[in-house]
Formats: sequence, C-alpha cells, structure tokens
Amino acid sequence: MILPRAISLALLTLTAVSVHGEDFLDRVDESLTFSGFNDQVRARFSGWLDFEYYNFSGDAPGLIFTDDHDLFNPRLTLFFDAHIGASCYFFAQARVDRGFDPSDAPMEARMEEYALRWTPWDAGRFHVQVGRFATIVGSYVKRHQSWENPFINAPLIYENMTSIYDSEAPPDAQAFGGEESKYHYNPVIWGPSYATGMSVSGKLGKFDYAVEIKNASLSSRPESWDARDSGFQYPTLSARLAWHPNMAWTLGVSASEGSYMTEQAQPDLPPGTGLGDFKEKVLGQDISFAWHHWQLWAEVYEARFEVPNVGNADTLGYYLEAKYKFTPNLCGALRWNQQFFADVPNGKGGEKPWGHDLSRIDAAMTYRFTPHMQMKLQYSVQHEDQVVNAVAHLIATQFTLRY
Amino acid sequence: MKSFIILIITATLAHADTTIEGHVELPKTKSAPVMAKRYEIVTKGGVLSTNPPIAIIYLEGSFAKPASLPMRKIIQKDFTFQPSLLAVQTGTKVEFPNQDDTYHNVFSFSPAKRFDLGRHRPEDDPVPSEVFDKAGMITLRCDIHEHMRGIVLVVDTPHFVISGTDGNFKLSGLPAGTYKLKAWIDSRTTLEKPVTLTGGTLKVNFP
Repeated sequence: MILPRAISLALLTLTAVSVHGEDFLDRVDESLTFSGFNDQVRARFSGWLDFEYYNFSGDAPGLIFTDDHDLFNPRLTLFFDAHIGASCYFFAQARVDRGFDPSDAPMEARMEEYALRWTPWDAGRFHVQVGRFATIVGSYVKRHQSWENPFINAPLIYENMTSIYDSEAPPDAQAFGGEESKYHYNPVIWGPSYATGMSVSGKLGKFDYAVEIKNASLSSRPESWDARDSGFQYPTLSARLAWHPNMAWTLGVSASEGSYMTEQAQPDLPPGTGLGDFKEKVLGQDISFAWHHWQLWAEVYEARFEVPNVGNADTLGYYLEAKYKFTPNLCGALRWNQQFFADVPNGKGGEKPWGHDLSRIDAAMTYRFTPHMQMKLQYSVQHEDQVVNAVAHLIATQFTLRY
Repeated sequence: MKSFIILIITATLAHADTTIEGHVELPKTKSAPVMAKRYEIVTKGGVLSTNPPIAIIYLEGSFAKPASLPMRKIIQKDFTFQPSLLAVQTGTKVEFPNQDDTYHNVFSFSPAKRFDLGRHRPEDDPVPSEVFDKAGMITLRCDIHEHMRGIVLVVDTPHFVISGTDGNFKLSGLPAGTYKLKAWIDSRTTLEKPVTLTGGTLKVNFP
C-alpha cells in the first residue's frame, strides 16, 4: 500500500510542479538558442537528464552490464545543433553516464556523435554527411533516444548478445559459443551503431535513399566506433531504400556488409586469412505506419557472420511494435520480439544451433507530465530455449527531463 | 422630461464608439528556432522564419457573447505554426491544417486547453480542430518537431487586437464604460491599465 501511495504522491507533486516548470524550461530553451548574421547562422544547446532503474530476475538482459539483479543508471545527454544557411547542418551528442549501455561502471563523459551535413539543393534530394553518427540501416534509429523510444530498451535484434566474439577467433567449431562474460560478445546490431564515416542520402519523390561507409560493422561494440580506435582498413558498407506510398506508410529495405572482428583477433585467424575475409552481412526489411494516435513498426533482419574455423553463423530476428496515445499525457506500447539461430558444424561431424532461440514481449506505459518531463514503466518477459532458467523478467522505470 | 434626457444621454454613452490608440513597448526579437534533424532526411527547414515580438491588446469587462464566432486557422507550414500567435474569443473553433509534405502532431499541455490531435496528413478531412472554451494562454507544440511553437491567447472579450511589429495598436468600436485594458506581451508579461471610455479616441501606452 505504501508504494502505490508514494507513486501517486510523486505523480501529483510532479504534475503540480510541472505547470510552472513548462514555462521555466521553455525559457531555458530560448536562452540556449542563438542566431546571428540575419538568422543565417543559428545554434541550439539542448539536453536530457535520464534516471533509469532496472530490476531483473536472472542475468542482466540485453545491453545491461552488471552482475547484480538491479541497476540504477543516471545519464546526462547534451545536444548541439547548428545551421549555417540552408545548406550546412552540424550536430553533436555528448553523454555523461556509466558507459554507453547501462552498467555499474563509474561515470564518464564521452562524445557519441558529431557530424556535418551538406545539402547543396533545396529540394533535399542529396545530402552528404561526414562524422560519427547513427547508422542509416533500419527504422529504429529515429526513435532510439529516450524521449522518442516508447520503451526503455531496444528491440531484441539491437541488443541480444549472440555467441559472436569479435576479439578472438574460435580455434575450432567445438569452442565456438563459449561461456565468456557477456560484454565479450556482440549482437547483430549494437544499438544505434554510432560508427564513424560518411553517408549520402536524399529524397526522390516517394523514395528515400541512404548509403554509408563506416569504420565498424553494425555489430561492433562502442569501443570500435571512434576513428581513433578503429580505422578504415576494413570498412562496412550499408544502404537503405525506403518507399512512402503515402504519408502513413513506409516500407524499407536495408543491407550491410563489413568486417566485424577487431585487430585483437588477427593472431587467431587461420593461416592465409585476414580480418577482411570474415564479414557480417545483414539484410533488413522494415515497415511502419502512423495515423492519428497510432504508430506501428516492424523490422525483420537476416544476418550472417562468417566465423573463422567454423563457417557461416546465420540468425533471423524480428519485432512488431505498436504505440497508442490514450490521452495527451499517457501512451502505451507493446512489442513482440523473436530471434532464431541456424545450425553450425559442431566439430564432431554433426551440427548444432549457434545460439538459443529467444522470444520476448515488452510492455510499457509513458506518462508525460509536460513537454519536458516524462516517466516510463516497462515490463518484459523473455523465454530462451534450452537453458535452465528459461523465463526471465525485467521491470524498468525511466524518468526523463528534457530541456 | 428630465428622466427622458438622462435616458438619452445614457443610451448615447453606452453606444459611444470609442477608439483606443497607443503603443506597447515590445521585447527584443528572440533567436530564430533551430530545427534538430539528426536522424531525419528533411527536405526543408534549414532556415526557419523568425517571428518578431507582437502584443495582444484586449479590453477586459462584461460583454454579451455573440451567437456565433468565426472559425480561425493555424496552419503548419514549412515546419512552423502560421500565425505563431493567435488571439481568439472564448468559444472559438480553431482548425489546424497541415500544409507540409510530412506529418505534424499538434498538442498542448496548457491548463487552459489540453489536447493532442495526433498525426495528421494534409489531405485529412475533416481538418483537425479544437474549440477553445476557457480563457488563458495555450502553448502549441508538435510532438514530431520539437522546435515548433505557437501560442493561442483565449480572451473573454470580443474587443482585442494584435499590435504591429512596431508595437502600435488601434482598438475600435468600443462601448462606453469603465474597463481594464490589458496588453499581453509574453507568457510572463501582461500589463494593464484602467480606462474609462466616453467616446472619441483615447491614447494609452504600455508601459
């Protein structure tokens, strides 16, 4: 009884405070916006303050890294957006938190994104962007930040650690899929994949196109995203084509190919091979729909990892996600995720699946107190085939203040 | 005879067509809005128009409500609300047509009117609308484009006018009597002065 009362009291207090807070944060926003040269140069600093709490029944799920069964994760995100005329746009994102993914590491400050976009023609049919920025693959990136994401975590395919191990090559098929700590492994796509490189994108009638060349593959860990840590010897090439038959619908296809192993793995590779011989290949399809208070998304990815001394490790993952706004303040979201793993040689003349098939359902509610303040509550239940504790639960809450 | 003369004078005063002219000291121009388009391919929106400060001047008092009020519009065009500031009388219906080639989602969390129109296309029929039935300031926003801001000031009087960008205003056709003349300048600043209208033209400046 005490907890519901405390939550009710907190909500009432926040709602009361928020009426005045809205105007105050609007003024903060205005004071952090600058323009000059007859408004041809304009810039804005903005940011989000997130407080997240996770509680899970078994091992930490997805991209959460802790040995405990709960985790508190504060995060300060700072954005800088600047326009120079109609042709140049620069943006940057910096974070102060306990690592890119929620973890029990000490607090640190990092620059996550910085990119310069040049748009030579007004119609937007051609943009060139250079820097470190989120991948153009798929449709999740547009809502991956805490304010836009109806959930606290990412879809399964963007965060489920597979048996792929980017810093060592397995000596043989039997050793593939060992029991290292989770952070040694890689998902199919590591969150928004803020790798470094260049993209070309644009709109041509009812089509959007985008092509990017980056220094790291989609599965690469955050330590590989910066050009100082990972060069362009083995670049990843990705592309996306989207069709908008009308404003409500978007259908997209994405593809990506690039080396996924780090230089640490080089000594383990079979003789006569190099890092460029082992690639991650991804083919994705996405569909989304939006109308009035409904938003629906679905993505399906087929991925192949070329694993040294093993062969091709294939996986397929998809999710279906729906969001509905019940009132101006309250919205609910539901997501169904699955990932399946194909067989690889087991080193004994037979075959074995290279991962445990997974199913997960996520349910979340978001309450917006003001245009600057929101709170989310999420429950997830996951079933993993062929493991002792097959069912795992996650309860998470996230408070976000935006300015 | 005496009471007839008083009646004539009173009637004349009540229908006296008074005009108030004056000037409002406006704040300096705000910085132009900055559109964030980090994860979007946006065809326009590089240089958004700056909205110079203007004031709304209105006469506060007890006035008869008209049988019907004209409908007003706030358009979403080039990733801005046009006009960005609209004054309406209590009970006015405002339409929100989308004239961009992308979705907008107009909403307000303001206590005077809390609503969310959802995602709307330019071709949507009927055009989404709201009736503003409570006096107060309503801040309009777009759930998709964070930089978009607009204001609807709902006033409980038929006598209001928007100043020019130079701060000058003229409010005509006012009935005789004693009222408060208010100048809304921004969300934090509304100035007021008592006025007694007896016909002719009255000069009032703020401050």
